[in-house]
Amino acid sequence: MSKETKLDQPASAPILEVRGLQKSFGSIEVLKDISFSVTQGNVVTVIGPSGSGKSTLLRCASFLETANGGDILYDGEYALKDGVYAEKKDLNRFRTRFGMVFQNFNLFPHYSVMKNICEPPMLRGCGKEEARERAAQLLQKMGLEGKEDAYPCQLSGGQQQRVAIARALALEPEILYFDEPTSALDPELTGEVLKVIRQLAADRMTMVVVTHEMAFARAVSHRVVFMADGCIVEEGSPEQVFEDPRQDRTKQFLSNYTK
Amino acid sequence: MSLMTMIAKMSEGLEKTCAIFFLTLLFAIPLGMIVALLRMSKNKIISGIVRFFITVLRGTPLMLQLLAVTYGPHYLFGADISRNKLIPVVIAFSINYAAYFAEIYRGGIESIPKGQYEAAAVLGYSRLQTFMRIILPQVVKRILPSMTNEVITLVKDTSIAFAVSYEEIFTIGKQIANSQTSFMPFVVAGVFYYLFNFVVDRIMGLFEKRLNYYS
Amino acid sequence: MKKYLSLLMAAILLLALAACGSSSDDGSKFIMGIDPEYPPFSYLGDDGSYTGFDVEICQAVCDTLGWKLEIFGVNWDQKLIQLDAKECDCVWSGMTILDSMKEAGYVISKPYYFNTQVLVVKDDSAISSSADLAGKIVAVQLGTSGEALLNEDLSDLAATFKSVTTCDSFLKCFTELSGNAVDAVFVDLPVATNYVKEHAGFKILDEQLGAEEYGIAFRSGDKDLCAKVEDALATLVSNGKYAEIAAKYPDIVDNLIFLND
Repeated sequence: MSKETKLDQPASAPILEVRGLQKSFGSIEVLKDISFSVTQGNVVTVIGPSGSGKSTLLRCASFLETANGGDILYDGEYALKDGVYAEKKDLNRFRTRFGMVFQNFNLFPHYSVMKNICEPPMLRGCGKEEARERAAQLLQKMGLEGKEDAYPCQLSGGQQQRVAIARALALEPEILYFDEPTSALDPELTGEVLKVIRQLAADRMTMVVVTHEMAFARAVSHRVVFMADGCIVEEGSPEQVFEDPRQDRTKQFLSNYTK
Repeated sequence: MSLMTMIAKMSEGLEKTCAIFFLTLLFAIPLGMIVALLRMSKNKIISGIVRFFITVLRGTPLMLQLLAVTYGPHYLFGADISRNKLIPVVIAFSINYAAYFAEIYRGGIESIPKGQYEAAAVLGYSRLQTFMRIILPQVVKRILPSMTNEVITLVKDTSIAFAVSYEEIFTIGKQIANSQTSFMPFVVAGVFYYLFNFVVDRIMGLFEKRLNYYS
Repeated sequence: MKKYLSLLMAAILLLALAACGSSSDDGSKFIMGIDPEYPPFSYLGDDGSYTGFDVEICQAVCDTLGWKLEIFGVNWDQKLIQLDAKECDCVWSGMTILDSMKEAGYVISKPYYFNTQVLVVKDDSAISSSADLAGKIVAVQLGTSGEALLNEDLSDLAATFKSVTTCDSFLKCFTELSGNAVDAVFVDLPVATNYVKEHAGFKILDEQLGAEEYGIAFRSGDKDLCAKVEDALATLVSNGKYAEIAAKYPDIVDNLIFLND
């Protein structure tokens, strides 16, 4: 990990740190001793074959799955310590630090675009006017002006995913997780979503992106993590991982993408 | 007896038919939700017991349940039988319909994609907020067609109250049919039920339309 | 599995067809329509088959005429509709003769029983006559002459009640009384006598209300059938068989018209 010091990092603790994370579904071990960390302003992409545990890693970090062992720390505070979770109220506090964008968008179909974005901050005590104002700004940033009153079913997949990103950003998270954000989209719609993520990267948003879009991963990340069979096989700068992979498993995986 | 007198006399029973109908809905709709949530409980014993009761309530005739609620306590414990038959009728109907509603609710709740719960969890919705704001409104839309069917059945089932001599439309119709040796009261009753259900169907249709703003 | 299911369905269908066939017009078969819950005239006996005074007499009539007796339990408040639908050939079950039946064209036999209606109350009840029923709830069986009386000849009396509870069987009337849901049951004397004899805690008030007669109802056009039955009854009376059967039912024997003329 020390090789990453060339990137400009503040001296403070990483936003997310995972140590020795373990997760099993029944007798199947999905995550075996995973350790990695994400610092302020960094974009980490996680690549690897299906079933390698990439999504499970994000779902554990966002408490959607219960890990069986290891530590999860946000800003140096333990959310999970040795496989034991913090108190419920503390977990809720940690939840305010991250946002999540799902493969299937998971917008609330009975809410308008505006309400999808505004309700979560309002439930956390944000005033209605402020929430609406912020939502309008985010929609503009996502290129969705004029869609405030539309319902998710009236939008294309790409538009829905951009609403989902705006919804996550409305809570002003310190770190944003993307779980295969373009996998459910038609190929011609992936571009608009990736463009938005690139823009966020340019704005120094801290992000972890699980993706199969290799060109995107290479272009946008500060660091690339390659996972296979529940382990981190290799991690490094995009140039190193994509141009000079050190592990055979990585080479084998990347060979499927080089055309 | 003229047709008008007959209709006037039977209209007196309409009030009681409506009482059964509305009170049953009033109690069965929320009770069904409680039953559905217990049925989906992670506690195997609770869900097992609730499941058993649901099968009993759905697997035996409503009339039998009505007789059991009305006369059971008297035969078993010598308790007094209620003078106001609306009470046992509404109890029996509410319990029976709650069982049916519970299964419809359960189907509706289970049909909501897991992603909705996950999105809500990540966005900081509490369990109660998730259920009330995200899940329930979507469930309502999904189950409305099945609920319409049940509500229409309920209108017709109110006639079963005759078994405990509660004088709703059908019971009065039978009384008139007897004294007049005429089939006409049944025709009148049939028209009453049809009109009632016509209105119910329209109202449920309006609800469905109102929820049609998304798909 | 599916094969067995379809076999089962076929069997059910066959049974249903057979059941339909049995109600066809067979000259040697006589279907008696009864209220299966009307002791002592007609009821389900301890051995599980129908019995009672009317049933035994009808059996004797069929024996005399060489008919095969079949018994059909009618829904009492639908009895005439069921008779019209040929589900039975007669209604013979302590049935009160009403003018409206004759007006509707049904063939009614000569009356064979003289009946009155009585009030049954609980032993400890303060009610001692119909005058005490003001503001009380009275139960009556749907489709019985008691109900008809309260609607017509005795409607002034009925108007003083708090309400009338109309039950679909007389048993329910007594259950309601036993559970204090009603204050009195208005019912045919023989039914009352029979019930009170077998169930403790009830008493019959002395007052007799509404005189009436029992007869047998046939479809309009079945005059000949009625005449055959009446002739057979006359034969049974003259050969002593009628009295022999009646002796088994001491509660009603005093009111049998053929034996008390």
